[in-house]
Amino acid sequence: MLDIITIPFMQNAILGGILLAILLSVLSLFINIKNWSFINVGISHATFGGLALGVYLGISPIFLGLIFAVLVGLFIGYISKKGNIHEDVSIGILFSISMALGVIFLTLTPNYTSDLFTFLFGNILTITKEDIYMLVIFSLFTFVYLYVFFQKILFCCYNEEVAYTSGIHTSFYYYSLITVIAIATVLAVKLVGVILASAMIILPAATTSQIFWHYRKIIIFSIILSIFIVFIGIFVSYQYNLPSGATIVFIYGLIFFITIFLKNIIKVVYHGSS
Amino acid sequence: MKILEIKNLTVKLDNKVILEDINLEVEKGEIVAIVGPNGGGKTTLLKTILGFIKTYKGDIKILGLPPKKAVKTGRIGYLPQKNNVPKKFPVSVLDVVMFGLINSKLSKKEKIKKAIEYLDYVGMKEFKNRPFSDLSGGQQQRVSIARVLVAEPEIIFLDEPSTGIDVVAQESFYEFLKRLRDEKNITIIMVTHDVGVVAKYVDKVAGLNRYLHFYGNPKEFFKKDILQKLYGADIELIVHSEECVACEHFRFKIEDKKC
Repeated sequence: MLDIITIPFMQNAILGGILLAILLSVLSLFINIKNWSFINVGISHATFGGLALGVYLGISPIFLGLIFAVLVGLFIGYISKKGNIHEDVSIGILFSISMALGVIFLTLTPNYTSDLFTFLFGNILTITKEDIYMLVIFSLFTFVYLYVFFQKILFCCYNEEVAYTSGIHTSFYYYSLITVIAIATVLAVKLVGVILASAMIILPAATTSQIFWHYRKIIIFSIILSIFIVFIGIFVSYQYNLPSGATIVFIYGLIFFITIFLKNIIKVVYHGSS
Repeated sequence: MKILEIKNLTVKLDNKVILEDINLEVEKGEIVAIVGPNGGGKTTLLKTILGFIKTYKGDIKILGLPPKKAVKTGRIGYLPQKNNVPKKFPVSVLDVVMFGLINSKLSKKEKIKKAIEYLDYVGMKEFKNRPFSDLSGGQQQRVSIARVLVAEPEIIFLDEPSTGIDVVAQESFYEFLKRLRDEKNITIIMVTHDVGVVAKYVDKVAGLNRYLHFYGNPKEFFKKDILQKLYGADIELIVHSEECVACEHFRFKIEDKKC
């Protein structure tokens, strides 16, 4: 079974998967604290419009996808901050417009042959060396950003008004965090597709926060859990000839529900109520 | 020395005038209570002073600076009305107090020591490693006060600070605020419903209901015509005095607690 480690594309898939697991697990904490899971889904779908525009104009699709995602992320953030429209409504509007634009651009593109939908539904087994370099560079940037600003970002998440009156530049941290999440989402979408990218950024902290209450433990165990799931997912999908992304997502979901189930069982046994 | 100056302030929200022509000055080391009926603009005034709400007309200076500049100095403490913290926020009680030292140049060890000192000050030291979200409303409020105080601000704004605190604890809480002002010469401005507190613990009262109907000595505030103007109805207030049986009872309980 371990012979798959010797296959080059499997090596890339495992290495890329681990790097993504680490990056997205750390960001997962903030997605869960801020209840931003729908923002993430909005951003990942909005990427499609940018990718399609890139194909239509003959400019790097991933570059335009990135710009689209960051702009949509910032716009959703702006709307939710100003409170003119409920953020769920603005996300719904923006992501459907972006998807619609994507379809229009693709229809207008003459002799369109490449399968843009692979960007949306990705394949972890097609991760290249260049993808890994890009991931390493962005992950390093993200970790430096979080290392320097972690406490201030956490303070803003705790209570933005209080952080503001303590002299913290809350808007900077709010929008910079959305930008980092938007870029991480686009990279993840490009490498593993929308579905797996969403699972990898929402489920780790959602699962570990069922067991641990402190952010340090939530981050550490989210990383460990994600790396474990990526490994198991790739091995299981290889062994039983299943689609790797879908297998990983399924294991994420399975572990999440098992955790909730066990937590409730323990609660009933020890405290006598559910 | 004037620490807060408000001149001819008018505030509009959604085109509706909430505050009109407010003039107010607070000296360093004073305790000021902003009181008035619900919807009278108390919290709006506080939020305008702190720069969350734009002024329509007029001028505000805290520590000699406009609100947005003043908050950047880190010399202001703020305790909002509701602890608007996300449910199950993954931090300990100590972490929350440490937020108050976010701009401090102290080493991590010194910061922890100071945070624990202030937790002790509010009687929450033994909770330091507990999840903040597991505490009751009153306990969270006390931890939040430690978070405000640990930064050693020059001026503190409190919005309904006794919310969620029981009556006995309220009495000791206001005693505590007074002690804080006496020991550290901190200026305290609070919005409160608890008009009974006003007479005993504050230096000045601001009676607010769209207009500033009264600003001055608490003893003057309890005159019938002022209260009628402010609350728009005939009301009677029971002011706790030295002879008050209920106060005696609470004092006894507090002293008993101290033993």
